[in-house]
Amino acid sequence: MKDFLLGLAFMAAGAIVYLVAQQFPTMPSLQYGPSLFPSLIGGGFMIGGLILAISHVGALKGIGHGMTWRMEREQLRNTLLSLLPALAIVFYILTSEWLGALLSLALVMFVLMLARRTPPLLALGVSLVAALIVDLLFSRYLLIPLPEGLMSIWG
Amino acid sequence: MDAFLQGLALVFNFQTLLVIAGAAIFGVFVGAVPGLTATMAVALLVPITFYMDPTPAIAAIVTTSAMAIFAGDIPGTYLNIPGTPASAAYVGESHQLARQGRARETLGTNLVCSMFGGLFGTLVLVFVSPSLAEVALKFSSFEYFWLALLGLSCSIFISIGSKTKAFLSLLVGLLLSTVGLDMMSGAPRFTFGIPDLMAGVNFIPVMIGMFALNELMMFYGSRNEGRNVPAVHKDEVFSSVPKHLKRYWRNLLRGSSTGTLIGALPGAGADIAAWISYAMGKSRSKNRDAYGTGHIEGIVDASSANNSGISGAWVPALVFGIPGDSITAIVIGVLYMKGMNPGPTIFMDGGGLIYALFIVFFIANLIMLPIGYIAIRSAKVFILTPRKILMPIILCFCIVGAFAINNTITDVWIMLITGSVAFILARNDFPMAPAILGLVLGGTLENNFMSSMLKSNGDLLSFFSRPISASLGAMVILIWFLPLFIRLYRRYRGAPQSPRTP
Repeated sequence: MKDFLLGLAFMAAGAIVYLVAQQFPTMPSLQYGPSLFPSLIGGGFMIGGLILAISHVGALKGIGHGMTWRMEREQLRNTLLSLLPALAIVFYILTSEWLGALLSLALVMFVLMLARRTPPLLALGVSLVAALIVDLLFSRYLLIPLPEGLMSIWG
Repeated sequence: MDAFLQGLALVFNFQTLLVIAGAAIFGVFVGAVPGLTATMAVALLVPITFYMDPTPAIAAIVTTSAMAIFAGDIPGTYLNIPGTPASAAYVGESHQLARQGRARETLGTNLVCSMFGGLFGTLVLVFVSPSLAEVALKFSSFEYFWLALLGLSCSIFISIGSKTKAFLSLLVGLLLSTVGLDMMSGAPRFTFGIPDLMAGVNFIPVMIGMFALNELMMFYGSRNEGRNVPAVHKDEVFSSVPKHLKRYWRNLLRGSSTGTLIGALPGAGADIAAWISYAMGKSRSKNRDAYGTGHIEGIVDASSANNSGISGAWVPALVFGIPGDSITAIVIGVLYMKGMNPGPTIFMDGGGLIYALFIVFFIANLIMLPIGYIAIRSAKVFILTPRKILMPIILCFCIVGAFAINNTITDVWIMLITGSVAFILARNDFPMAPAILGLVLGGTLENNFMSSMLKSNGDLLSFFSRPISASLGAMVILIWFLPLFIRLYRRYRGAPQSPRTP
């Protein structure tokens, strides 16, 4: 069932890529313009997606014959948990400018460690030390301008 | 000779040797912790190598990848969980041996075979690449177009599992490679008005997303902590190795040569080299029945193959700029950043850089022996490292590493988006190597096609007008139709044997 849906998603993505590619400007001196490769890729997505969907169309028949496609509670929980790192990155992107990289990273690590049931004191200690090391390595040693945020008060 | 001496001077200095030692320890650590792959280690290393001189930067990558591939055997042996995908082929075999109390003996054999395989692949790299480079000097845009297409085609047909999924994965990478200003017309493509995307998608955040963030998401989506070490060891690391090598020296040579060859094929990395060598070893063994019950013969074949594959993958990467596996795909980007443009001219430039690279390969494989020995003796430290503490730290390295490439938050978004897409695809058995190859080779493919069209006034037949170009084109077409030929051949062979129904 998942493969069938992924096939449909690829077909839709292919159609969008193809349509967007048709809007790229063409130059009269060039026989093949900037739209050629994206159009081919879009076409490839549609063909590949179609093959994938067709080869898994049996899953749909199963649903038609009384089988249901439902995510189990455990599976749903695991899927949601797997989104945690992605959410942590979004949190960093949104807060690092005013909180500073050091605090944002420490918070991200602390929460992620708690999510896997690390003892809170250990999680706090490791998060702070690791954030300090990462910040020192990249800001001081590699001279990457990581946002300082609240930490700029201390200069 | 001067260039060789310059190469020696570039490697044998305090900074490079320190980097090699550090990278070896880092490689052992990453390889030995289940869930952290060699490619992930290299992807995380790139932002740091960005600030190094070319020789230590390349040394760090070579050493880390070689060490991580060996160290992947450590948790495989003790826990039955391969540390890296390259150890998966023979994990059952090594774990069975560990259960018999022969863990250290197994890992000692693994270590020596890995070192031998790595050195064998390096010798091939040293002796074959310069000769191939002389041929490659005659190549023009027509040949490079076919070469890129050959690499992309191989990545689909060599991949394990559904070819349709490999094809779609490749297209994802190719699509990413089209983002940015078009080379010929200067028209922006898929930039969505974001200035940071005008120069295209930087491949390092994509790599970090696909190989590190994807793994992190997999970890949080599972409950497996994998911390028990049930096997006990009563044996010594190297005491039985001479006996095994004397008995299975043919397997060692066969595994190393097969691994080098498979490694050199684009899209096929150390993991596929190990699987194929293990299968070959089993099919040719006199003790086929002993496989799967803890038989050292299978380990000799596969563990030499995965390390020789790592070295073999560098041959097309250096000579043609076509990566042999995901790690060399990253390396090609690093070489460009360091001004060492991969391609035949890298062998002609002089200055000792290419010799330095060869020397680094030898050192990386030789240093494997002492550091690997220490790693085997202290295996528990590595495999008991709690991943619930390690993974959040790795995530922070991912964020800061992606940011550090261009000092822009856009790259962190790119890492997040590509990592999330890779997670969905990988969970549904889409291979990731074709996507990476698509991203790296997409520009080469399109630019050489466009240049060729300009040269030939749009005549598509010109791709077959030069002898080497025509041969490469024929090879590509043959690869495309090979599955059909095989199917027809099997049907033809199978027809007389098939039972006839009245």
